[in-house]
Amino acid sequence: MSRNTTPQSSMEEELDSEITSIRAELRKLHHRRRILSSSLLASDKLQTRLKAHQSATKNTPTSLSITSLASDISPLADSAGKHSELNHHRVAFSATTFPFTDPSPTTENPHLLGVRIDVCTRSGRYTKPYYILLKRARTGDGGDGEQNKHFQIHRHTIPAFIAMDRLERRFLPVPSSATEAETEEQRLKPWKTRARKQDLWGLVRELRRELVAWHLRKDAVGFLREKLGVVRRGAGDYDDEGVWVRDVLADDMVETRLERNELGIIALSATTLEATYVRVEWEDGRVGRFKISNSGIVERAVILGDQGRDKAIEGILTGGDGRVETVLDRLKKTKTSPE
Amino acid sequence: MPPPKSIRAPTTASLPDDLRIASTTQSLVKALGKLPRQALLDIVFYWLEDRNVASFPPYLQRDERDKDDDDELGPYPAERTIDDVRNAYQELQMRKGAKREVIDRILEGDWRHGITMRQLAMIDFRHLDDHPSSLRWTALELSHIGATGAATSEDSTDFNATACIPRVHASTFLHKLQQQISPLVKSHYYLARSRSLPVTFLRVFVTNSPYQYPRQTSDSLVDSSRVIYVAFPDSCPFIYTSVSTSMALKPSSDTVATDPRTLQRIVRDAIPKALSLPHQRYTLKATSLTAKSLGTLLKLRGPGRSNQANGAFSIFADAVLEGSPLDPRPSDTVTPEEYLHQPSELDKENVDITNGPTPDELPKKSRGPDPDTRITKKRKLAIQSRFGTAGSLLSSAPLDRLDVRLLDSPDQLEETGAEPAQPVLSLTFAGSDVISGIRKLAELGLVDPERMPSWMTGEEAVSVAVVRGGNRVTRDSG
Repeated sequence: MSRNTTPQSSMEEELDSEITSIRAELRKLHHRRRILSSSLLASDKLQTRLKAHQSATKNTPTSLSITSLASDISPLADSAGKHSELNHHRVAFSATTFPFTDPSPTTENPHLLGVRIDVCTRSGRYTKPYYILLKRARTGDGGDGEQNKHFQIHRHTIPAFIAMDRLERRFLPVPSSATEAETEEQRLKPWKTRARKQDLWGLVRELRRELVAWHLRKDAVGFLREKLGVVRRGAGDYDDEGVWVRDVLADDMVETRLERNELGIIALSATTLEATYVRVEWEDGRVGRFKISNSGIVERAVILGDQGRDKAIEGILTGGDGRVETVLDRLKKTKTSPE
Repeated sequence: MPPPKSIRAPTTASLPDDLRIASTTQSLVKALGKLPRQALLDIVFYWLEDRNVASFPPYLQRDERDKDDDDELGPYPAERTIDDVRNAYQELQMRKGAKREVIDRILEGDWRHGITMRQLAMIDFRHLDDHPSSLRWTALELSHIGATGAATSEDSTDFNATACIPRVHASTFLHKLQQQISPLVKSHYYLARSRSLPVTFLRVFVTNSPYQYPRQTSDSLVDSSRVIYVAFPDSCPFIYTSVSTSMALKPSSDTVATDPRTLQRIVRDAIPKALSLPHQRYTLKATSLTAKSLGTLLKLRGPGRSNQANGAFSIFADAVLEGSPLDPRPSDTVTPEEYLHQPSELDKENVDITNGPTPDELPKKSRGPDPDTRITKKRKLAIQSRFGTAGSLLSSAPLDRLDVRLLDSPDQLEETGAEPAQPVLSLTFAGSDVISGIRKLAELGLVDPERMPSWMTGEEAVSVAVVRGGNRVTRDSG
């Protein structure tokens, strides 16, 4: 008996793995079918044909079978058409709005205005959408019965390093209708307390700029790392060559290091999540850091070696067209050119 | 054997890394015993690595020669070279055995001359890193002093929307911290990066003031109530501090200024000052969040998306409401699970999705006849709209305690706002995950999901709240 168990269990294992692989394959196909069917339903050709057909049948109510067919398909096709239209708006305008109802029974302002911001990254994919939900709060009771409403940020999903409270103070100031009793100074110097209007456009524009700049910086750092070549550390892989670090920008906790390159750079990574500063380390012990501006320019660079600062390389980093994407090309050029 | 006697004058320097605690100290066994055998061995191998061995020298035969009067035969004869020591631990690694064996080998064998403060800090930190819920953490917010008065400057063109996140340069920061507290507190610092969380930890061990009579018992150097942890999460204007649980139990008998609690407060107060730069001073603000799990703090006061969107709004934080603009599937046909688990696979429909984590979770849900079938569809929808993904399996930020003070009068008929003698009702929820517990209650029908106030859904993301009329009241004083 004991002899039999080993081949049996191995066979079972084999079958199990086969079953799981088939299941995975099935899932994959299901997924693909759903994507394909909804793309087909949302496709331009089908939508235009369907619309033409619908308008035609509306005008001439003829055979029963065709109308029933049309009504059978139409809810699905309708929702697919609406959805693709929505997606077109999101792709085209990047910032879209939607209404949202706060389900809390105790809230005073259940009707919220949602703003959704979509950012496309280097890979051609979209990130998780960013949301702000604004509520319309009342500004005191005006006295004259007229209730001023103003926007306030209620909830949002913006990362913490973008100071939403500062943006709100700047673009959505609370209208100061309550301060009726003007002080002497305010009356004499009205420009000091000129009532700033709420500027929702400005808020969204500024916020989107910050988000896009952040993703561009992240992409730039990822691009530089990719150009140098990234090696991922596998499980139980104890090769101690090079500097293994965890990338702050990556979601996974896998340690990576750079491939050996002719520039002698052994580490290049963003120091923090917002990817403003990039840390570079060379084989010979030089360590540097440069700052990426919101427009993708290397603004400042500091490189320290054993003999103090390496001004030449600093100049190369910030010189040229200053773009962060071409930093490596600039370094390479000086490396190859005869000195 | 005790560390060699030396003359020590009071200084304002921090405790050195290589200050040795006599290996005969009883509490060391306990401190080391917190770690499992493998973790202990890992740490020992780290000490014995070529680049580290100078900081953690083991006891070798040549040390024995220096004091030849020592003729006792210990259970662990001193090894000849460092390689021999390594081999000894390799051997322990190979064979299974008790943890005690390793601890004895460390304390009575290779580090019989004492464990240094740094070694102890590493052991302690390893335990914390493996058990992130072993302490209670309080989140504090860093904010600019005078930031509110700067409203006029925000009109200017150089408006910048980045939050106040101090750039921490480890050695500079420690130097400044030391400058702040050295006249009052003698301490030892250890800075380390977590292996699993995006957090940098600072372990500060506070002993008594520098002017106290030279030597304290070596037990006090192991005392965990004198340890304060400060965690710096990446890229967000928050810091977390640990409040040692055994702190309250020890009312120190000597003067007020030297009990561990006071010393810890001094350290805490010094942190924002040490982080400050000229013209850029920081202060710490309370954020009403204390929890055992560091994961919770990272979720509710962390660098990510979910700081300001919880409870009903967690669907936005987890982006389970709608897909990317390239997803052809109408969003009402896709389950939140799919959005959460396959965020990037929508676009690469041809590529393998075999490694998606969904397979095991989804079928299980539909197979079992569990709560799903028992609760009505209406209530299920109500629960989903109230809680979003909070307290569900999809995403969790477990709160182990939720304290709520209700300021409403119980009859709720007449508005007695001006009445001074207002009844106050305090509620305390405790458990492994309070919000998911309330969600369970709602699923069982014990809580009406439509009428309950929003603090019950975790929307406020706090562990202490004052509530009036179902809404959280915030005091500006913090």
